[in-house]
Amino acid sequence: MSTLTRTDGSAQHTVAQSLVLDRLHKTYTSRGKTSFEAVKGIELSIEPGEMVALLGPSGCGKTTTLRLVAGLETVTDGDIRIGATSVADLPPAKRNVGVGFESYALYPPLSVRQNLRYGLRARKVRDADQRVDTLAARLEMTELLDHRPADLSSGQKQRVALARALIRNPPVLLLDEPLSHLDAAQRQRVRRELKVLQREFGYTTIVVTHDQLEALSLADRIAVMDGGVIQQFGTPDEIFDDPANRFVADFVGEPNINLVDGVVQRSGGKTFVRVGDAGMLPVTATGVADGRAVTVGLRPQDCHTGVGAEQPALEGEVRVYENLLEFGQATVDVPGVDEPVVVQTPADERLAGGDVLRFAADAGQVYLFDDDSGERLR
Amino acid sequence: MATTLMPGQKRFTPSAILADLTLLAWFVFSLFPIVWLVLLALKTDAEQTTTYFSFSPTLDNFGTVLSDRGEELTSVDFPTALLTSVLNCAGAVLVSLVVGIPAAYAAGRWRFRGSNDLMFTILSFRFAPELMVIVPLFVIYNQIGLFDTTVGMIWVLQLVTMPLVVWILRSYFQDLPEDLEHAALLDGYTRRRAFVMVALPLVRPGIAAATLLAFIFAWNNYIFPLVLSESEASTVTVAITKFLGGGGQAYYNLTAAAAVIAALPPLVLALTIQRYLVRGLSFGAVKS
Repeated sequence: MSTLTRTDGSAQHTVAQSLVLDRLHKTYTSRGKTSFEAVKGIELSIEPGEMVALLGPSGCGKTTTLRLVAGLETVTDGDIRIGATSVADLPPAKRNVGVGFESYALYPPLSVRQNLRYGLRARKVRDADQRVDTLAARLEMTELLDHRPADLSSGQKQRVALARALIRNPPVLLLDEPLSHLDAAQRQRVRRELKVLQREFGYTTIVVTHDQLEALSLADRIAVMDGGVIQQFGTPDEIFDDPANRFVADFVGEPNINLVDGVVQRSGGKTFVRVGDAGMLPVTATGVADGRAVTVGLRPQDCHTGVGAEQPALEGEVRVYENLLEFGQATVDVPGVDEPVVVQTPADERLAGGDVLRFAADAGQVYLFDDDSGERLR
Repeated sequence: MATTLMPGQKRFTPSAILADLTLLAWFVFSLFPIVWLVLLALKTDAEQTTTYFSFSPTLDNFGTVLSDRGEELTSVDFPTALLTSVLNCAGAVLVSLVVGIPAAYAAGRWRFRGSNDLMFTILSFRFAPELMVIVPLFVIYNQIGLFDTTVGMIWVLQLVTMPLVVWILRSYFQDLPEDLEHAALLDGYTRRRAFVMVALPLVRPGIAAATLLAFIFAWNNYIFPLVLSESEASTVTVAITKFLGGGGQAYYNLTAAAAVIAALPPLVLALTIQRYLVRGLSFGAVKS
């Protein structure tokens, strides 16, 4: 058990504990028949004090996973362990997790102070008022305590919801889309605050989000989910630079990765991929047979221009050029490729529609995926 | 330049004026029967069949209806019938609330085996015409000794009040974000306490609306007490009609006075309950 000293000098015991999801399954049944498998055997091992983001499109099972951990859904199969304790069969109240709901879930008839006290009241905590005051001071929301939720802005409600999750000082914190109802400016601020608070308090945290920017900025590690399965679990760098499959490559990255058809070609001990009529890109993959049709992933950010005529590259006519000040973005028609390819260009290199652009990427940044399964080919 | 209007302020355009006039006409039209009823209740026996608006009003009719003189004329004790009605309706609404609130909560929160069928069955009580079920009910009530009893009346009125309570409250519970109860569960409350302390207070406007509607429907019911009661459990709706005289002289002014008196309890209830009718307590809790 470690003792954390808060900035206001009060010391409270916080136990940063690991959180393990072990082959976690959730199946919804109706009339005895399996109707929907929301979570299909999730394995996730989260270090004490670590912040992990579950990132995925809606319906991918990320919120269900969060609710399984909170105890709001019953586990069909598998286990959830907080520290050394299995909590899969415990009621929500006994799991000692704090949840920040996407909807904030504040009781409308109660003031903010009463809302915060509500959770302590059920547990008959004696210094409830003092704890509310301390936390409110730390979250800089003392002036909100006597207001009702209806009087608050969404940013303030978000803060109260967070305080509600934190008031019991739980070792595990679960946040469901914490920033989704905030405007852009608030989002940036709350994101930074959340990160600082999580670091300071040392909670093991899962944050569920569909917004990659949120996941990238908040989380130590990201679990990209789709179809009830974790597609990839890794640091933001790993997710971005070394995607495990086409879904991860496609879902993470703004603007989206270019996915085009290609054919693997080996010559002189090197491996290339042929794209379109005359395009050629170097690849690092060695385990792919010569002549195999693949899907090629190429991030706009990884493209560089000014490639010599003798070097392998793609070439095409610029359809649209957007000047985005820090960089430019060219949409290029490469002969023989169905979809136009988006290329990020240096800011000082102004282009116009109709220009011919020659571009390539480093071998390590040209990803090959199986046409059918979408798995990464290495 | 467009002028800024305060909330509630209206622009006087021809179409707005026309709309207001139409509404006024409709208001007068729909209020007329009530005005006529009240006027009739104030007329003497001699004037009761006239259609004049000018007459010498008297409050005697109300006294007659409520006194022994009324009972002599109709063989019905009107004050007792009034009390019976209050008892029947309050009892029926109370039973419907006690049983219906948990039922509405369950139906609103969970889909369980047969939940839709159950809800449909409850609703179907409302669209089966009372005249269709009254004969079998009459036979059954006679056989099991519920004929002309308060318990029997409260029971049969469930056909009227229960569907209203369950269906109105189900939609209120459905509108209530489930996260509120989940948060309570995480805080350490049991399911039951989460229901009582979180969900129930937030549907109070719904309970008020359902109570009022159910009471009015039960109060206005005529067929059930007419057929299933004789004297003990006979209600005000039946008693009013006795003043029209079965074959004897018809006292339209007394009938009107009885009807005016009979309209008061629901009115009083509506006025008492209306401050709970304000919807929107849960607004601001959850962004949807």
